[in-house]
Amino acid sequence: MDVSAKPPAQMDGQKHRRSGGFAGDPLFKMLVMATGIGVLLVLGAIIAVMSIGGFPAFKAFGPGFLVSAVWNPVSQHFGAAAPVFGTLASSALGLLIAVPLAFGTAFWLTALAPPVPAAIIGMAVQLLAAVPSIIFGMWGFFVLVPPMAHYVQPFARHMFGHIPGLSALVSGAPFGTGMLTAGLILAIMVMPSITAVMRDVFTSMPTVLRESAYGLGATRWEVMRQVVLPWSRQGVVGGIVLGMGRAMGETMAVTFVIGDSNHIGWSLFAPANTIASLIALEFPESPAGSLKLASLMALGAILMAISFVTLWCSRILLARGEAQAGKRS
Amino acid sequence: MNGDTMSSTMQNDASNLTADAVGETAHPLALQVRNLDFFYGKSRALHNISLDFPERSVTGMIGPSGCGKSTLLRVLNRMYDLYPGQKATGEVLFDGQNILAAGVDLNVLRSRIGMVFQKPTPFPMSIYDNIAFGIRLHERVSRSEMDGRVEDALRRVALWPEVKDRLQASATAMSGGQQQRLCIARTIATRPEVILLDEPTSALDPVSTARIEELLDELKTEFTIAIVTHNMQQAARCADQVAFFYLGELVEVDSTARMFTTPRESRTQDYITGRFG
Repeated sequence: MDVSAKPPAQMDGQKHRRSGGFAGDPLFKMLVMATGIGVLLVLGAIIAVMSIGGFPAFKAFGPGFLVSAVWNPVSQHFGAAAPVFGTLASSALGLLIAVPLAFGTAFWLTALAPPVPAAIIGMAVQLLAAVPSIIFGMWGFFVLVPPMAHYVQPFARHMFGHIPGLSALVSGAPFGTGMLTAGLILAIMVMPSITAVMRDVFTSMPTVLRESAYGLGATRWEVMRQVVLPWSRQGVVGGIVLGMGRAMGETMAVTFVIGDSNHIGWSLFAPANTIASLIALEFPESPAGSLKLASLMALGAILMAISFVTLWCSRILLARGEAQAGKRS
Repeated sequence: MNGDTMSSTMQNDASNLTADAVGETAHPLALQVRNLDFFYGKSRALHNISLDFPERSVTGMIGPSGCGKSTLLRVLNRMYDLYPGQKATGEVLFDGQNILAAGVDLNVLRSRIGMVFQKPTPFPMSIYDNIAFGIRLHERVSRSEMDGRVEDALRRVALWPEVKDRLQASATAMSGGQQQRLCIARTIATRPEVILLDEPTSALDPVSTARIEELLDELKTEFTIAIVTHNMQQAARCADQVAFFYLGELVEVDSTARMFTTPRESRTQDYITGRFG
C-alpha cells in the first residue's frame, strides 16, 4: 500500500471521521428536514399575514371587493376588480407575445442554429433573463413608450379604428403607457425563462428518438411538431406556467409603463394597473391600520390565490393531457 | 434471383469469389461506397473505404468498438448531416447518384434508406401511429389504405397477432423485443430500398434476438440490408457477405462462408477467433 509511509495516526484519523459520520448522520438528517419544514412554515406565514392583514377589507366590502372596480382613497372605497383584470390581461398579452418568440428561439437553438451562433444567442438569452426588472422598467419607459404613443397607437387606430368591434381595442388617448406596453415589457421579461425551459426539454429528448424520426425522412419541423413537442409537452407547459407566474407577479417594470389607472376596458392602449404595481405605488401612502392598507394586503392575498390556482390548473391540464395521450397512444 | 439462391451459390462456388464478384455476377449493387473518408471534426474516423452492398442480400459489418462500422452506417443515410463538424468525402452511389453530393433531398433519401437503431426507439404515441408516422411523412393515403399499410407492416414483422387488438395502445408499453420489431415495421412501412441496422439486437434477450434474425432472412428477399453487429455468430447466421473493420479501415470483405473459414488477413482471423476486440 502506498499510504504505508504515512504515520499510523492517519489511520486513526480516518477511524475517527467514520465514527463522527455515524453521529453526524442523524444530525444532518434533522438539519435538512428542518430546512424542508422551514419552507412550509414560511409559506404558511405568508398566507397568514396576507389573509389577516387583508381581512378588514374583505369584512368591510364583502364579496363586492372582488367585483368592484372603484379605488377611491378619498371616499375610502376600494375594489379589486380593476387591478385583478389588469394583472390577468397584461400577463395574458405578455404570454401571447412571448410564447411564440420563445418557441421559435428554442427551436432554432436546438434544431437549426450552427454551434457558434447558438452559443452566442443562448448566452444572450440567459443574460436577458438576468437583467433586473427595474432596468426593464426604465428602458421600457424611454424606449417603448414614445413609439407606442407616436406610431403604434395612431397606426392601429388608422387601421382598425373604424372597424366595429376592433375600434374598442384601439380607442383612447395616445399616452404610450398602457396595457399593450405592459404586455410587451412582460413578454421581453418572461421570454428568456420560457426559452430556457423549452430549450432544456427539447434537448433532453433522447438523441436516438430524434434520429429515428429523421431516419424515416422527417424534416426538422416534422420532427419538432410530431415527436419532440408531444414528448416534451409537460415541460413546455411547465415553462409557460413559469413565465405566467413571473408575469403576474412582476412589479417594477410594469409599474413604469402601465400608466396607473384603475380602470377596466377593452382598449389595448388605455392605462391600467396590475395588483403588483398598484401595491407598489400605493403602499407608501397607506398608514398602518388603514382600510387602504388592508385592501392592499387583500389584493396581495388575491394575487397569491391567482398564482396558486394557475399552478393548480396547469397541473390538471398536464395530467389530463397525459391521460388522454395514454388513452390515445 | 433471391437471397437464398445467392447464399447457396456462394457456399457452393467458393473458387473465384470476392465480394465485388458476388455483387457483379449475382446481384446488381444497391449501394457502392467509393474512397470514403469520414471526419469527426479533425479526427478521421474512416480511411478510404470502398465497399459494395449487393441488392437484396445482407451485408454484415463487424469489428471492435470504435472501428467505424457504425459511422459508415450513418454515412449511408447521411444521418451525420444533423451534426455540424461531421464530414464525409468520397462517393456513395445509390441508384446512380452520389448521395454525398450537395443538393440531395435528405428526406427522400432517408425514406429510401431506412434505419433501425441499437435501442428500440418507439415514438411516444400509439402502435398504429408509430407505423403511420413514416407513411404520413411521404404519402397521402386514405384511412382504409393506411389501415392496410399498418397491418401489412406489422404482419411482416410477425407482430400483428400480438398487437392487433391494441393498436391504439402506447407503443412504449410493449416489451423490448416487440418494440424493436415495431421499429423495423415502422421502417419498412415507408417502403425503403435499403435498411440499415445498427446492432439491432444488442439490447434484446436471446429469444427476441432469434426472432429478429429470422425476420432478416425474410426481409432480404425484398430489401437490401446492412447490419452492424458485435455478435460474430449473428454475422455468421444472417449475413451473405461480411466486412471487417479495424481502426477506421476496411480490412477485408468476403462471403460469409469464406470470411469465417478462410479469411485472407491475419487481423480478421484474430478478431473472429476472439483474440482481440
